[in-house]
Amino acid sequence: MNRLLIILLLQLFPVILMSQGWDTPADKKGKLSPFKFTDETRIVGEKLYLLNCKSCHGNPGKANFINLVPSPGDPATDKIQHNSDGEIFYKVTTGRGPMPSFKNALSSNDIWNIISFLRSFNPKYIQAFQPEIKSAAYPGATINISLLLNKKKDSVIVKLTAISPKIIVPVINAGIKLLAKRTFGMMPVDEDKTSDMKGFAAFKIPKGFRGDTAGNVYFSLRFTDEDKFGAFSKDTVIKAGEITIPQSLVKDRAMWNNVRKAPIWILLTFSLGVMSVWGFIFLVLFKLRDIYIVGEYLDKNPGKEESELK
Amino acid sequence: MTDHDNQQYKDRLEKVASVVLRPVRINNKGFILWMGFLIVAFAACLFAYSIQLRKGLIVTGLRDYTSWGMYIANFVFFVATSLVGMLISCVLGLIGFKWVKPVARIAEIIAIAFAAVAGLVIISDMGRPDRLPYVFMFGRVQSPILWDVTVVTTYFALSLLLWFFPLIPDLAVAKNKLSGRPAFLAKAYEILSFKWVHHEEQYRILHIAVRILLILVVPTAFAIHTVTSWLFAFTPRAGWDSSIFGPYFISGAFVSGTSALLIAMYFFRKNYKFQDYLTDFHFEKLGRVLFLVSIVYLYFNLNEFLVPAYKMKKLDAIHLHELFMGKYALLFWSVQLGGLVIPIIILLIRKMRKPLPLFIISMFVFAASWLKRFIIVVPPQAHPFLPVQNVPAEWHIYSPTLIETAITMASLLLALIIITVLSKLFPVLPVCELAEDEAIADNELLSGIENNSK
Ligand code: HEC
Repeated sequence: MNRLLIILLLQLFPVILMSQGWDTPADKKGKLSPFKFTDETRIVGEKLYLLNCKSCHGNPGKANFINLVPSPGDPATDKIQHNSDGEIFYKVTTGRGPMPSFKNALSSNDIWNIISFLRSFNPKYIQAFQPEIKSAAYPGATINISLLLNKKKDSVIVKLTAISPKIIVPVINAGIKLLAKRTFGMMPVDEDKTSDMKGFAAFKIPKGFRGDTAGNVYFSLRFTDEDKFGAFSKDTVIKAGEITIPQSLVKDRAMWNNVRKAPIWILLTFSLGVMSVWGFIFLVLFKLRDIYIVGEYLDKNPGKEESELK
Repeated sequence: MTDHDNQQYKDRLEKVASVVLRPVRINNKGFILWMGFLIVAFAACLFAYSIQLRKGLIVTGLRDYTSWGMYIANFVFFVATSLVGMLISCVLGLIGFKWVKPVARIAEIIAIAFAAVAGLVIISDMGRPDRLPYVFMFGRVQSPILWDVTVVTTYFALSLLLWFFPLIPDLAVAKNKLSGRPAFLAKAYEILSFKWVHHEEQYRILHIAVRILLILVVPTAFAIHTVTSWLFAFTPRAGWDSSIFGPYFISGAFVSGTSALLIAMYFFRKNYKFQDYLTDFHFEKLGRVLFLVSIVYLYFNLNEFLVPAYKMKKLDAIHLHELFMGKYALLFWSVQLGGLVIPIIILLIRKMRKPLPLFIISMFVFAASWLKRFIIVVPPQAHPFLPVQNVPAEWHIYSPTLIETAITMASLLLALIIITVLSKLFPVLPVCELAEDEAIADNELLSGIENNSK
């Protein structure tokens, strides 16, 4: 009885999820792209889409999305196109159930590029965009971000300044996060920080943090509250990691390598084992010949003495 | 060793040869009917294989989850059963049990047939058998698959030689006693007896050769079944991830092999009228062997199931629940009880270690051995490790198709064909060795009488 209930619930679970619909908070719905969608943004978006989304959503228009509950759906169809730009942006950023959150994996610009690609399948779509990010905190100013390594080389120091023709002031109380590029996507470094009264924040770099062959790490700094401070990121390369010379896993002899790079001990054990056993087998086969020779000799020389045989 | 020229020995030889060579004929009705049946059935199964060859493995029940099904279970079973050759002629023979003499050759015949067919069974599991040469061209010595191919071939060669070498003196004796048989048989015996003239020197060479083979075959046989077990145990999959898989497989092999031997012995005793040589005494002894190997196997079963069942690690728990109480429960418990526990209890009773009861017990044990391989191979694959949704039902529940079953039947039929041919063309019992033993026994009896009368 209990089991039946669980099975029933499990069956219903996705249905409940689906029937709930996926609502976007009212203030996020109207969010617009900071740039106009062009052929260039579409092409960049397509690349990103193929890398990050195709595995589940398939090729837009081909209805070859994979079979999940709730269904990812084909982005070219109304299921996704009925969303406003802000809704798509919100859903891709937060994710739900099997749909992953791309909050850290993609920058805001990346997501807008993908949306630009998705919209190219909707002939009825007319874009509205908002080139200037309203920086609610520092109206009329551009925000300058600089990233530096401290002397002990164990932290990245961030300095935020708002610059306008009239004033230069530190950006205070701004939530920021630092991301570092790894093999698969962007990884947050340290916890999210808030800039202090002088516009500074420090992100601790973990011990043994790997850089490239020169120790370089690709960092990206973003605001956690993009609506307030602007949806842009500061991307820089800083020599903050350990020098890492990539080692090919198939360079040395190993169990998983091809036969020419097999470990010596296994090559030896195998070939010596096979050779010795088959050596003995051939030795035994030669004994057949000996038996034959003895028999033939006795056939031809009946009554010969034993001793002459040897 | 007796003098091979002595009159007593020659008389005995005549007598043994007349009994053992009587069934060596291929032009009687019984044989033709039996062989005809085997060949027609085999051809029908080959037709099933031709369908698989054309359409691929999709005609089987194998899918993404269970990609090793009946074929691999059958392969493990064949390798297992072939191990009886090593158990009887080497382990017992090398230790010095004289009573194994009349059954040793039967054990080798089983070993040859089952080892040869095991190799072919693997090919039936290949979707692209034309790529078989790739195993040798691009095989990696790090892969247990290559080890398996190597040791199965080696074991087959060794079994063949172990069957053939002791046969040479018998062929020499038999080559003149084949009246009424096709002429080619006498000719074949003449060639295969390698000018054997029962000379001491020839016996010396023969004994060295057989000794080498007996020693070689022990590690080889252990290797073949241990490697077969490693094909499973080298993966982290719950149900296969076990450090005792090697000895667990070997002890299980002895169980299925001994039961196969008992079935064959019973058959030869009845149909070939070998009551004088395959006596109640031999059955009694092998009944004890079956008891012993079953007890050892039971012990390994206890370890294999109780140890993970006590810990109930997450994935083990899913697997064990399926076996003990889930979809495989009926199969699991009938195999464990009907093929192992109950036979062990019955074998304790002396009356049950007679030929007919042993034959019946062995039939159960043999069938259970096959099913046990199925339990080892299939259920662990039925659970995916990653949460996947909307998987077709046919992936979850593996059910072999008719074509697959027919191809599996073909392997059994082929093994029977090989056994039939070997046992109909060549003497099944060691003529010279039996005559020798009888002559020695006669001598002892005579000298005993002389001593008494003094
Ligand atoms: C791991 C599979 C997976 C990947 C990768 C994935 N999605 Fe999704 N996506 C889903 C699933 C499943 C849903 C439905 C979720 C729901 O309804 O709860 C979904 C829903 C969506 C929706 C909302 C559709 C609606 O009903 O409103 C959008 C928009 C979307 N995905 C875009 C993307 C984009 C853009 C990417 C790549 C950056 C992406 N997805 C990558 C599985 C995936």
